[in-house]
Amino acid sequence: MTAPAVEQAAPPALVEVPAVASLAVRALVAGRRRRFGVLGASTHAVWLDGGHDVLVLSTRDATRLPNSVELPFDADRALMASIPPGDTMQVGGGFVTGGPLTVRVVRWWDPRLVLAPVAPGVLERRLNGLPGEVPGIDSEPLACAIRARCPTGVLDAATELLGLGDGLTPEADDMVAGTLAGTRCLGHALGMRRSVAALDAVAPVLMATAMARTTTFSAALLRHALRGEVAAPAAAFLRALAGRGDVVAAHTQLRKVGHSSGRALAAGIVLAGRTLIATA
Amino acid sequence: MIARVEVQPGRYHDSVRLMQASKVLQELPGIADALVAMGTELNLSLLADMGFDADAAAGAGPNDLLLAVRAENDQVMEAARLALEAALSAKPVASGGLDGPEPRTVGSVAARSDANVALLSMPGEHVFVEAMDALDAGLHVMIFSDNVPLEQEIALKAAASNRGLLVMGPDCGTAIVGGVGLGFANAMQPGPVGIVGASGTGIQELCCLLDDADVGVTHALGTGSRDLSESVGAVSTLQALSALDTHPPTELIVVISKPPAASVAARVRGAAAACSTPTVVTFMGETTIEEGAAEVLMRLGVPEPAYRSWDSGGGPVRQGTIRGLFSGGTLRDEARFIAMAEVGEVGTVETADGHCFVDYGDDEYTKGRAHPMIDQTVRLDRLAAAADDATIGVILMDVVLGYGANPDPASELTPMIQRATDAGAAVVVSLCGTRGDPQGRDEQAAALNGAGASVWLSNAAAAREAVRVFAATNGGTT
Amino acid sequence: MSDLDQLLDTEASVAAVGTEMLAAAIDQQGAAVHRADWQPPTPGTAAALARLAAGGSTAEANSTALTRMLAVRPQLTDVSTAIEVIPGMTERTFLHAGPPLEWERASGPTRGALIGALIYEGLAADPSEAEAIAAAGEIELSPCHHHSAVGPMAGVTSASMPVAVVEDAAGDGVAYSTLNEGLGKVLRYGAFAAEVIERLRWMQEVLGPVLGAALRSRGPIGLQSLIAQALQMGDDGHNRNRAVTSLFLREIGGALVDGADAPVTDRKAVFEFIDGNDHFMLNLVMAAGKLGSDAAAGVAASSLVTVMARNGTDFGVRLSGTGDAWFTAPAPPVDGLYLGAFTEDDASPDIGDSTITETVGLGGFAMAAAPAIVGFVGGTAAGAVRRTLAMYEITLGEHPAYQIPMLEFRGTPVGIDAALVVRTGIRPQINTGVAGKVPGTGMVGAGLVEAPMECFTEGITALAERLE
Repeated sequence: MTAPAVEQAAPPALVEVPAVASLAVRALVAGRRRRFGVLGASTHAVWLDGGHDVLVLSTRDATRLPNSVELPFDADRALMASIPPGDTMQVGGGFVTGGPLTVRVVRWWDPRLVLAPVAPGVLERRLNGLPGEVPGIDSEPLACAIRARCPTGVLDAATELLGLGDGLTPEADDMVAGTLAGTRCLGHALGMRRSVAALDAVAPVLMATAMARTTTFSAALLRHALRGEVAAPAAAFLRALAGRGDVVAAHTQLRKVGHSSGRALAAGIVLAGRTLIATA
Repeated sequence: MIARVEVQPGRYHDSVRLMQASKVLQELPGIADALVAMGTELNLSLLADMGFDADAAAGAGPNDLLLAVRAENDQVMEAARLALEAALSAKPVASGGLDGPEPRTVGSVAARSDANVALLSMPGEHVFVEAMDALDAGLHVMIFSDNVPLEQEIALKAAASNRGLLVMGPDCGTAIVGGVGLGFANAMQPGPVGIVGASGTGIQELCCLLDDADVGVTHALGTGSRDLSESVGAVSTLQALSALDTHPPTELIVVISKPPAASVAARVRGAAAACSTPTVVTFMGETTIEEGAAEVLMRLGVPEPAYRSWDSGGGPVRQGTIRGLFSGGTLRDEARFIAMAEVGEVGTVETADGHCFVDYGDDEYTKGRAHPMIDQTVRLDRLAAAADDATIGVILMDVVLGYGANPDPASELTPMIQRATDAGAAVVVSLCGTRGDPQGRDEQAAALNGAGASVWLSNAAAAREAVRVFAATNGGTT
Repeated sequence: MSDLDQLLDTEASVAAVGTEMLAAAIDQQGAAVHRADWQPPTPGTAAALARLAAGGSTAEANSTALTRMLAVRPQLTDVSTAIEVIPGMTERTFLHAGPPLEWERASGPTRGALIGALIYEGLAADPSEAEAIAAAGEIELSPCHHHSAVGPMAGVTSASMPVAVVEDAAGDGVAYSTLNEGLGKVLRYGAFAAEVIERLRWMQEVLGPVLGAALRSRGPIGLQSLIAQALQMGDDGHNRNRAVTSLFLREIGGALVDGADAPVTDRKAVFEFIDGNDHFMLNLVMAAGKLGSDAAAGVAASSLVTVMARNGTDFGVRLSGTGDAWFTAPAPPVDGLYLGAFTEDDASPDIGDSTITETVGLGGFAMAAAPAIVGFVGGTAAGAVRRTLAMYEITLGEHPAYQIPMLEFRGTPVGIDAALVVRTGIRPQINTGVAGKVPGTGMVGAGLVEAPMECFTEGITALAERLE
């Protein structure tokens, strides 16, 4: 006896979603096709792990990160959330594909921050009253090392902090990221090349340490921070510190990001600013 | 005719529903009269006025349902009963969403969204009102439309600059704001160059050359074809220039325009010289876009590439004049400027004698149809005519790619190009496109080239090639 | 940082209006694009609209006019007699709804109401005598709106009628309206039978004096808060006034018991009369609206609609910036549901000053708050919500007090901009009662109507001419 033929349900139509990606991940996205593992997925984001590199597929209403591939508002959120962790997606050739999702990058944005020059006194005034620490995190050794322009000191102090706290990006990592990005961007704006050079000196070792001591995702964000690439609200705050935009508004916006990430990032940036001024 | 009056005690319905039920009954065939109402005094007297037996409803009160029907026969009466029950017990239709109508005005879209730029492309006579709406809502404005009266442009730009807002246009074909192309725009990667342009295709050609040198842009701000006129006085150009000058990521600024009024040119040059950011001013007619791009690249320390081209293989070409079939006015002007230096007079209107380079994007050819960058009908017709015209030796034409443009221009053009090359004419294509354009720049080039055209990324190079072929087949200059 | 700097520092979010192709091109780039369903403005208005926009003062003038409209705090202070309080009232003055009108052109319900009022005032013994007097021009006809007054349907107001006095607690405006007679065979719908006249007499002799005394003893009743509460209880302020009438009865109840020096039977009768008439508060809501309308009038260059009113013959509109001018068009037929055996053949064209409610953000503009009324327009509750939502396209603001729970307590659309009406082609939505066209008939139904576009095109043209 044969079972009656069952009509197969048609596979979901492959819709190509246009996306906008960070230039910081162009080599990954436009390069040779590779498999990335799905770290996690929600209605706002899919985190993709390429071993050393992490990409975030996110919708436009999520925070834009320096490693974001951003989908339009009307992206199929249910589809995104349905991607199981552990699955793989293909990244490369200008596409991110996996399961029913086909994302084509049609446009790039530049996450590198270029700030207008700013005088130390002006920056000090703009930083006035903003919190530069996070309760429970002793950031003084890091500040001390930046003030001393001491690469090994920066490395040791940052290493001590990495991985401290909960979450996809531990709170201390966010603070360190803020401090590193703040030192690079504000250091340029203040014309303090030696402080920036100290960062460059520790970058490779710090990255290797981060890979060992914290989550893959957080380590990736730290790598971007070292190059001065930060989440969009942190960029807006840094721009405001350099005279483009309202400092208090940008600071408030940044502190709203995530559960604690925004506050820690903001504190790190403020710490970097104050430390640089103290050195200048 | 039979009449029935009935009272259903304690059955309450709101008056609206009852009115609807009455209406349903009255519309039934065979029903002469119907009243479905609560037994209020007013309705009881209405019942009597309608000639029903009021006694049958005696004792009915405001909380009792009153039914009175006059019908042709029992059958109709029964149908009425059923219809009434259905009408009174009908479940409401699922209400669905609470969506209002689409916004109708720019002000309404602005109020409902986070928009920061309005892109207006309605007929020119209606632009002013919507543009003022946009400015009132704090939006910058790009006006794609042409035919906006000059005094309205002046008023708009004055109102905008008072508010710190930018008006790009009218007749602004191209802008790239933060990477987003508005109007006809090529896909550009982010980069250090900020462009201020009074000419849409001028901006596009510059983008196309910079992209081939792997140089990107921060922004390309259009200002509209009349911005550098005496009467408008470069309001938008000067605003855009000053904004880009203080925009930290912009390392170099290019101002690109057709030759402006002399006094305005001086003002723009003065403002450019005062910028703290290096600024290149390219007034076409004084220089070519290609020369402008070369200066930009030189200032950036980027070597000027040999702009891509796809050779035709160079078969024998019939003798005859050069016919230019353009969709971009600025591209036409640049090509004509180059050609005239070599071959003498080149006309700008269709003519049977001598060389002529025609801009089919001009008003004269776009009445009632889309721009030739989208709708190639007119150019295809002229291309066919040129193919069949033995007095024409070289056909020079532009093909503009990018967002907003025809999704696959080559597929429409290749049969006609093939016809022309088969007939012995040379077809030289100036391909204005970038690597990221949705049409696929290199695929388009390959298709055009496959039909026998030589394809040049630089419009100036295409013009030089047309002149070269002409000179080679006609034995020197005319 | 200037707005232009901000543009350069953030990604473009585009309002694309016009060619769809250009909007689609932005979609293609994965960027934010917001579309409008733009339509050319009403034919013949482009030049006037451009002139208004170029004048540069209309936006500010409209904001001023709207602020004034919303600033009034109407309170019911007294019930008096028309001749005593209404400016310009005489014994031979008969106010009517809508724009100015002569007897020759008067609609059935207006004629019916005038006949009734002449009999009521004792100036005529019977309908034929009344008609003769009116036809001979022996009475003065004048729009309510010219006398700080408003009247529903025919709106006929004569010297002896009791009128509500609504004053502005935040300013010095005063507005007047007659008291509502109930539904069915009533003067305002053009009925003039003996029972109609009799009820008017009772209103003059009992209702007015008792209410007036009660009000004077308890003090003024703030109307805005009552209307605001009623919107959250399913009223729209025009054709559904059940909640606001109940709220009013709660306010006045105590003073009816002990504040009026009248026989208890009279006080009971007043209570029952109000209780039995779900539309009792309509006239008071209208007077409250008239206060706002008058406050918004007279702002030069403003295209805000201060008055929409009809008299069964003409539909009239006034704008804040065009002084006393009326812009009229033939009153349109109402798309209605009819009582009993009445049909649209029995209906008079649109009539009444009650559109003052729509002018101030109620009625058709608040229908989303009144799901129970939606059958009037023959649609669904969602349809009513859409009608209200559509009105946001032609209004200048949202009412701070009148809120719609279903729209997450968004304020009702308020402040009709005649320029937006002609730009969008969206006409103000009105819900209304329908009067019988034959004098003496009374109410025949209710329904929905849209204000005629000509009123707004004429208004905008005239306003633009004033700016020259």
